[in-house]
Amino acid sequence: MRFSSFTYLVGQGLHNMRANRLMTLASMGVLTVCMILVGAAYLLGVNVDAVVGYIGSQNESYVIINDEATDEQVTALGDQIAAVSGVSSVVYISREETLSQWDSLLGSYTDLYADLQADNPLPQMYRVAVSDVSQMESIMTQIQSMDYVDGVNAAVNLADTFVSLQRVISYICIGLVGVLALVSIVVISNTIRITVFARRKEIAIMKLVGATNGFIRFPFFVEGTTSGLLAAAISSGIVCGSYYAIYRWYIEHPSNLTTLLGGSLVPLQDVWYYVVIGFVVFGFVLCGIGTATSIRKHLNV
Amino acid sequence: MIRFEHVSKVYETQSDENVALEDINLHIEEGEFVFVLGHSGAGKSTFLKLMLMEEKPTEGHVFINDQDLTRLRRRKVPYMRRQMGVVFQDFRLIPTMTVYENVAFAMRVTNISTKTIKNRVPFALSLVGLEDKMDRLPDELSGGEQQRVAVARALAHGPKLIIADEPTGNIDPELSMDIMQLFEAINKVHITVVVVTHEHELVHQLAGKYHNRVITLAHGQVAADTAHPEVAREYEARMRAMGMEPTYL
Repeated sequence: MRFSSFTYLVGQGLHNMRANRLMTLASMGVLTVCMILVGAAYLLGVNVDAVVGYIGSQNESYVIINDEATDEQVTALGDQIAAVSGVSSVVYISREETLSQWDSLLGSYTDLYADLQADNPLPQMYRVAVSDVSQMESIMTQIQSMDYVDGVNAAVNLADTFVSLQRVISYICIGLVGVLALVSIVVISNTIRITVFARRKEIAIMKLVGATNGFIRFPFFVEGTTSGLLAAAISSGIVCGSYYAIYRWYIEHPSNLTTLLGGSLVPLQDVWYYVVIGFVVFGFVLCGIGTATSIRKHLNV
Repeated sequence: MIRFEHVSKVYETQSDENVALEDINLHIEEGEFVFVLGHSGAGKSTFLKLMLMEEKPTEGHVFINDQDLTRLRRRKVPYMRRQMGVVFQDFRLIPTMTVYENVAFAMRVTNISTKTIKNRVPFALSLVGLEDKMDRLPDELSGGEQQRVAVARALAHGPKLIIADEPTGNIDPELSMDIMQLFEAINKVHITVVVVTHEHELVHQLAGKYHNRVITLAHGQVAADTAHPEVAREYEARMRAMGMEPTYL
């Protein structure tokens, strides 16, 4: 294709958008709403992920060590636990540490430390954290079966809850994106179809004087993708702007719940490019599909 | 230039078959001016559609410039169409575009550079005598003028073949002669012209004057061809053999 033809066709596409500005506006509006919902679903998913990740990193399971183990055996056990895949940290806790912790917890009620220091009934322990909460159960079973392990105190139930919550939310997000993508395709192809229908005589004439299908399709493609990209730009602005506002509000209004969940949302600078790139691709691809499906039958002249 | 070899076209509907063309054999040479004459239902439209690649024959082959249209790939059809210029009964101008734009638009389609278009459009319009109406919209012109715009559009990309479908069907009878004479003038510069029409009086008037070839279609067959007198005799014999009166024009 010549450059002059290319610029002509791009101009035609933009001209068509202006000529059908009401339809263009309507389809861009619907597309923008779809994108905002997709963006919101994505950001919700990212934050649920981050919270689950945070709780996962906060997970503390205690491995209680048998009293009969010698110091070497205890050290060996520590190495053995650390070698299990998925274990992110192993910290040794001596009897004294546990005792002083209890002591400070009970504070002024008793003088636990002084009373029990000589004959400490508390066991030695390893504090184990896992990197992926969903594997916690299997890791703990593995540790349970090691020598000199008396028991494992793991927050398996909590972990399970979060993992299934995470899964449900990601399914909802995927479903939402799928439905919205479909809606967008229908809306875009409908808009293009109206334009094509309004210009069907022109298209028939173009075919008869020897226009290739690509030549006829190109302005519609320009029209569709331009609406898509404009909708992407608008919704990127709205989604990123509102997210930043929510992010600031969240930090400035801490509560027990927010502290429990990590104290902060995922910062905007970590996610904005996913949002923008996602929207651009979403707009471009869907509009391309919408255009291609709506114009095909008018080309068979 | 144009060759029909044993071409038949049958339109099949659910209940019956409608034979539009039956064993057509024709050869139109380069530079010829040919009228294809026939009543409605004689097969004129089908004849035209086969040349324009809107339909494919049920049997036989259509050649344009030695290219077999029945074997032409879909993708190649646009390039084949660029070798001809087409004029329609209903003009087929785009009402929202000016006269200039209508001609330029058809050239755009064939990937011609903007510079060439700027030179060629006024030239093509001056050939049909409309250079002073370039900025008008089609609706502001008379039927005859609109048809001349359509002729300019068909000529603009420099085709070797012009095909006209009832070019005088929608314009005043007194202007019909003008349009036909325009085609005669086009033919003078060695462009092949095929005019499909049912207006036999006009055709006989012109053909007598300019010695044009007249091919008559009837009942989907070639009933007469002034270049080949034997065709008419064969057709008559065929019809008589079937017990029918060879009535054509």
